Amino acid sequence: MLALQLLFNAIALGAAYALVALGFVLILNATSAVNFAQGDLVMVGGFGALAFGSLLGLPGIVLLVPLLVVMIGIGFLLAFVAYFPVRKRPPDTVFITTIAAGIIMSNGANAIFGPEPRATPSLVSSGDWQIGGLVVSYQSAAVIIVAAALIVGLHLLFTRTQIGRRLRATAQDRDVAASIGIPVNLMVAATFAVGAALAGAAGLLLSRNFFVSPTDGANYMLKAYIAVTLGGWGSIPGAVIGALIIAAFEVAFPALPALIPALAPYAEAFTQVWSTVVLYVLILLILWQRPQGLFGEAVRARP
Amino acid sequence: MNTVLDIEQIEVRYGGVTALRDVSLKVAPGQAVALLGANGAGKSTLLKTVIGLMRARTGDVRFDGRSIATLPPQRRARLGVGYCPEGRRTFPGLQVRENLMVACWEGRAERERRVEEMFSLFPALRQKADHLAWQLSGGQQQMLAIGRSLMGRPRLLLLDEPSLGLSPVLTDEVIGRIPAIKQTGTAILLAEQNAAKALAVCDHAYVLQTGKVVGAGPAGELARSADVRKAFLGG
Ligand SMILES: Nc1ncnc2c1ncn2[C@@H]1O[C@H](COP(=O)(O)OP(=O)(O)O)[C@@H](O)[C@H]1O
Ligand SMILES: [Mg+2]
Repeated sequence: MLALQLLFNAIALGAAYALVALGFVLILNATSAVNFAQGDLVMVGGFGALAFGSLLGLPGIVLLVPLLVVMIGIGFLLAFVAYFPVRKRPPDTVFITTIAAGIIMSNGANAIFGPEPRATPSLVSSGDWQIGGLVVSYQSAAVIIVAAALIVGLHLLFTRTQIGRRLRATAQDRDVAASIGIPVNLMVAATFAVGAALAGAAGLLLSRNFFVSPTDGANYMLKAYIAVTLGGWGSIPGAVIGALIIAAFEVAFPALPALIPALAPYAEAFTQVWSTVVLYVLILLILWQRPQGLFGEAVRARP
Repeated sequence: MNTVLDIEQIEVRYGGVTALRDVSLKVAPGQAVALLGANGAGKSTLLKTVIGLMRARTGDVRFDGRSIATLPPQRRARLGVGYCPEGRRTFPGLQVRENLMVACWEGRAERERRVEEMFSLFPALRQKADHLAWQLSGGQQQMLAIGRSLMGRPRLLLLDEPSLGLSPVLTDEVIGRIPAIKQTGTAILLAEQNAAKALAVCDHAYVLQTGKVVGAGPAGELARSADVRKAFLGG
C-alpha cells in the first residue's frame, strides 16, 4: 500500500514537472536555444495564481484561465526581449539573455510579494478520499487531471491543427517553413508563449503543496533541464518520461528505509539533501553510459 | 513580353564572395525554363533570391509585374511563388500527409482535395501517407518536397536540382512530372546540372557560369548548341 501511495504521489509531482519540461523542450526545438528563464516562469505562475486568488477569491482551477492568458503574454514578451534581438548571435547568447530575464522576474517577484514562501489557493478544495489505506487528496487528484488535460490538449494542438503543424514545421526547418508561407517569427514567439503558459500552469499546480518564493526558479529550471537530458535532448515524450522519473526518485528516496527494512538503520541518511546528491550522481552515471539520454531522438536521427 | 518572373540585373553576395553578378532572367506564364550550370555556378543562390532567402544587393526581382525584392519569403510564397529546395528538406518529423497540409492556406475541404491531387501526381506518396517524412526513400522525399511546394497552387514553381542523388530511373520519374505540373498553368524555373534531362522538358533555358549568364535560348536550340553540349552534355 505504501508503494501505491508513493506511486500516486510521484505521478502528481511528475505531472507538474512534465509541464515545465515540455515548455522547455518546445522552445529548445523551435530555437535550438536553452531558455534558462523556464524555472522563473514557474515561479511567476505561482505568484500569478496567488495574486489572482486574493483578487478574485476563486478556486485554483478557475484561476488557471486568466493565469494562462497572462502567461501567454509574458511568453510573447520574453521572445521579443530575450530571443529576437539576439537570434542571429551564437546560441549561447540566448543563455545569457534568458538568465537575465529570469533574474528580472525573480527580483520583480521579491519586490512585489516579498521573500517569504507563500501558498496558492487549492485547485478545488481541501480534503481527501481514503481508499483502503490510500490517501488521495483532492489537490493531488486535481493536479494530475489538470496536467494530463493540458498535455492531451497540447498533443491535439500539435497534431490536429494547422497552427500546430506550422509550429512543428517551423521548429524543424525555419527557412523552408518561411518559403511555404509560414510566418516563422510569429510561430517562434507563439512557442515561447506556449512554453510560458505550461510553466505558469505548473506554478499554479505546485505552489499549493510546495509554496512559492521568488528564488524557486533555479530549482525548477534544473529539474526541467535534467528531465530533458534524461529523456533525450529534444524529445517531447522523453521530456515527460524524464520528469516522471525525477519525481519518482524524489518521492521514493526518503521512503526507502520504510520500504526496504535493511536500510532502516541508516534512515537519517535519506534526507532531502542526500536525495539531491544521489539524483545528480545517478544522472552523471546515466549520461556517461548514454550521452543521448535514455530515449534518444527519433526525429534528429534522420538519415 | 508578359512575364511571371522578371529578374533584372541582380547582384548577390555571401559576405565578400559575389555569387551572382548582373544576372537577368525572364519566365513567361506557364513556361518551363531550365537554369543550367555546373556545381557552384549560382543556381541555388538565384532561386533563393527569388523566394527571398537571399537578398539582391542591386537589381530587382518582379513577380507578376510587381517588385518582390524586399518582401520576406512567407509573403512571396503567399503571392504565388512555390519553392522546392535543393536536398528536398522535407519536414522530417511530420507525416507525409502533414508535410503537404502544412503548406496549404485554404480551408479543410480544399486542403484535402489538394492532398488528393498530389497523391495522383505522385502515387508513390499515397501508400506512405501516414509515414514520417524521414522514413521515405530519397526519391519519395523529392516527390514529397515537390508536392509540398505545389500545395499553395503557385503561379511559379522554383525547383532546385530535383535529380540530385537520385538514380537515372527515379530522375526520369521525377523530372517526367514537370509537363503535368506545367499543364496546370504553373510556370517552372528548374535548376539542374543534368542538362539533357532538363532541356527535354523545358521550353527555354539559361546557362550560368561562375555567377554570370553565359548563354540563353530556346531549349531545343541549346540542346543542339556545340558549347552547351561540350560543357554539360558530355561532348
Ligand atoms: N552559404 C554560403 N556562404 C558562402 N558562399 C556560398 C554559400 N552558398 C553558396 N556559396 C557560394 O556561392 C556560389 C554559388 O553557389 P550555389 O548557388 O550553391 O551554386 P549551385 O547551386 O549552382 O551549385 C559558390 O561559389 C558557392 O561557394
Ligand atoms: Mg545548388
